[in-house]
Amino acid sequence: MTEITTENYLSEAKRAIKNQVLQNALADLQHRFGTETALAYQNLPEGPELRFKAHDIRMHTIDNLDVILDKLAENVRKNGGHVFFANNGKDAIEYSLRIARKHNVKRVVKGKSMVTEEIGLNSAFIESGLDVSETDLGEYIIQLAGEHPSHIIAPAIHKTRNDVGKLFSEKMGIPYITDPAKLTQAARKALREKFLAADMGTSGCNLACAETGHITTVSNEGNIRMATTMPKVYIAFMGMERVAARLEDHDVLIRLLCRGASAQNMATYVSYIGGPRYPGQADGPEEFHLVILDNGRSRILADEDFREMLCCIRCAACLNVCPVYGKIGGHSYGFTYSGPVGAVVTPLLVGINKAKHLCLGETLCGACKDQCPVDIDIPRMLLALRSKLAEGDSVWGVTPADRKEKSMYRAWSWMISHRGVYDLFLKMAAFGQKFLPQKEGMIRWLPPPMNGWTQSRDMKPIASESFLQRWRKGS
Amino acid sequence: MNENKKATLFIQCLVDTIYPEVGEAMVQIFRKLDVNLSCPTNQTCCGQPAFNSGYRKEARKAARHFIQVFENAEMIVCPSGSCVTMVRHHYPELFTNEPHWLQRANSAAARTYEFTEYLVDVLGFEDVGAKYHAKLTYHDSCHLLRGIGVKEQPRRLLSHVQGAEFIEMNNSDQCCGFGGAFSVKYADISTAMVTEKVKNIIESGADTVVGCDMGCLMNIQGMLSRMGSKIKVKHIAQILSST
Amino acid sequence: MATSKHAEFIGRIKKALGHPKEDDQRMAEFFNLPISENDRTILEHIKNRTPEEKQKLFEVLIEAAKPINLNVIALPDVSSVTSAIVDLVEQKEPEWGSKKSVVAWNHPLIERLNLEEALSQQDVPVYVAELKNEEEQSSSSSDERKRLRQQIIDSYIGITSADFCMADAATLVMRTRPGQARSVSLVPLIHIAVIRYDQIIADLKELYALLKWDPENHKEGLTNCMTFISGPSKTADIEANMVHGAHGPREVYVYVISDKD
Repeated sequence: MTEITTENYLSEAKRAIKNQVLQNALADLQHRFGTETALAYQNLPEGPELRFKAHDIRMHTIDNLDVILDKLAENVRKNGGHVFFANNGKDAIEYSLRIARKHNVKRVVKGKSMVTEEIGLNSAFIESGLDVSETDLGEYIIQLAGEHPSHIIAPAIHKTRNDVGKLFSEKMGIPYITDPAKLTQAARKALREKFLAADMGTSGCNLACAETGHITTVSNEGNIRMATTMPKVYIAFMGMERVAARLEDHDVLIRLLCRGASAQNMATYVSYIGGPRYPGQADGPEEFHLVILDNGRSRILADEDFREMLCCIRCAACLNVCPVYGKIGGHSYGFTYSGPVGAVVTPLLVGINKAKHLCLGETLCGACKDQCPVDIDIPRMLLALRSKLAEGDSVWGVTPADRKEKSMYRAWSWMISHRGVYDLFLKMAAFGQKFLPQKEGMIRWLPPPMNGWTQSRDMKPIASESFLQRWRKGS
Repeated sequence: MNENKKATLFIQCLVDTIYPEVGEAMVQIFRKLDVNLSCPTNQTCCGQPAFNSGYRKEARKAARHFIQVFENAEMIVCPSGSCVTMVRHHYPELFTNEPHWLQRANSAAARTYEFTEYLVDVLGFEDVGAKYHAKLTYHDSCHLLRGIGVKEQPRRLLSHVQGAEFIEMNNSDQCCGFGGAFSVKYADISTAMVTEKVKNIIESGADTVVGCDMGCLMNIQGMLSRMGSKIKVKHIAQILSST
Repeated sequence: MATSKHAEFIGRIKKALGHPKEDDQRMAEFFNLPISENDRTILEHIKNRTPEEKQKLFEVLIEAAKPINLNVIALPDVSSVTSAIVDLVEQKEPEWGSKKSVVAWNHPLIERLNLEEALSQQDVPVYVAELKNEEEQSSSSSDERKRLRQQIIDSYIGITSADFCMADAATLVMRTRPGQARSVSLVPLIHIAVIRYDQIIADLKELYALLKWDPENHKEGLTNCMTFISGPSKTADIEANMVHGAHGPREVYVYVISDKD
């Protein structure tokens, strides 16, 4: 399992905000993709309303996931592929290591995959003595640096060209260069050798199609095609929800995926892989394995409040518009998934109490929902998570996060049901605030727990007479 | 046009307690437009702070109080998109398991309007005869924009203000970082967000920033004040009531 | 071993869904449905496309190709494609080493280009991506396949045709067949695809309708690997700078033959 550091949300966020390089990169990323993706939806032949249709398609699929996965498995096997259903990361890792041993695999090339990040496949492979290379340029940079991706689609946005130049010079023994084209060429050369020498390729799965028995992978670099074409064994890993029932559903979703991810009409490469090499074909893997992973997803499926989250196709469109992500970057979220999607998925996968800051640390501004290609109501689910944190929840094993706050709100709810008491409270507060430092009619400092406000902002004092007091007098 | 114009004022708690002048500006506009006003004086808060923090029992209590207070109002009008979102979208959610209350919540939801929405969509006014000499820019509040879909109404109203020049800021629809308790609990993130918002306001060249929600405006004003900026922060009612 | 968790896994999903309806009934909602009116219309439309509509499609393709740096070039006949390729081979230098070689699909359209002869003057060999020995085709690590793999790796230009080209996003659609290796469009520095004008279709909807309901296309299905290619390989992973040729070809040329023979 990948290390979970969701508790450090506040300190990591603070660190990210102070990192000016990261701030510029995030601003640039959001400026480009945020606007362009919205425009790409507008330019769809069906218009942006296609997102709502896509939502219905996804929801209907998830509601019938059992029979659709059965069909997928049946058809992949018919095409000559192997299907393995993994209850958790451990099962998936054990299975893939077994395949690796069977084929005497030494070198593995990986296509970018969030789900293998989620289960920590890399470190498990490395511990077993395999030579593992990430092959997406961004992921390769991250791997050389010994870090984790900070964005689903652009894993290395937190690195500058100078960082990459230094890293390549150090790890690849090449002269220090900073031109992105030359750095890309250096990686192309190094990774080409890896592709050609690899015995096994792995990738994720963007979206499988049950009726044909294919998985689809999407990339711009061509690394996934390399990893799925050149080595003799290929294993694809998919989260169990990443399936479309039929081609007509696949049509809607793949077009929205490309637009959501990078405002493209179509990614450079989309591959439909449905089995191993057939006799007479010159290339392709001898064996094709599809690992379908649960790892906590069936628990999400069982809860009506959160089932909708399984509609997510991991395009990262929400990251590109989230004003919170735009400030704190991906690492603050402390697990594989960042941004709005991470704020819901991570607590459900690693524990709601453990990841409470992810549930609470947003403004519920709703930009994510509007940009989501399948119109997932992320704010609704953040609210549902918050209610579990507030009240506790036996199904998810949540204990109330803040009992003091809970009693505060209880008292508050009684007070606001009684206007007289409320007026009295306002009177006291208006009196109390006179002792606070003020300047030009604005309060400069508030005591804890309100001091977060005044660390950067002033506050207008409570009026000596409320509107309703004035109204009572006036009418 | 509506012959028998009526509005029952739903005063956001922030307006009631910190910014009563915003409520009075709204009253002034309505009186000028011959709207019959009433205002239940036992109203308090819609319950959104509790709801957003996850305290649904407490939010339900606040909602029941609101529903009772406004039971007989025909048109409930509020100078905050956020509070209207709470009543319109979240009240029904709170009572899914209580059919009797759900019915009353749905009824309250259907009768509740945001101030500019009410002026433009219900009363049909875009020009309320206001004069205000300033360079204005407008901040789209998240719940107003994405919660109840009000984007053009405030802009149309502002476009008819005599003497005012309107300038769009960059990313006017990006969250200011208020988020209620978020602004205090996650103050570093909130600060970073409002810093960007304020930067966009300053760069627009406007001397007055206008909005329809005192939550966001309090946040923006708080930072501008700390910076010692001369830029004024106004609720749209304060602009529209000027003559 | 491979299927041991299958029943348990699906059972857990069933339980999570708590479905009132029978499996068969739900399967029938999704699969093996008759052709929809919509798909029927799409197929009719493809079949009866007028010359004007075809021209329009071609224009859409040209426009879509521009922003993705895909070179789409209309040529009147096979011999002009051959000359264009000869020119490219002359102009372009290999990426690794200095020896020029070209690899091409075994495909009727490519065969008509007579590349071997045309490139012999430049002394550039043309390898054909085909396994010659029937017996060896079934063996998993045949010398024949190793030889071919090396030829593809050594070639700096790969020449293919395609099954279709979708105009709306300028996307080549290729299915895998013997003689039509996938690495030809992937491993070399430059990829050239030669297609006929009437292989251009509008979009993914048309492609899926053809694959699903056109008898000939349905029979072959998607094959074990269907690939879409929309332009040259690219990355923007370093400071969001767009660079072509991350792992796949750095340049892609689509020659569209407009003759009617």
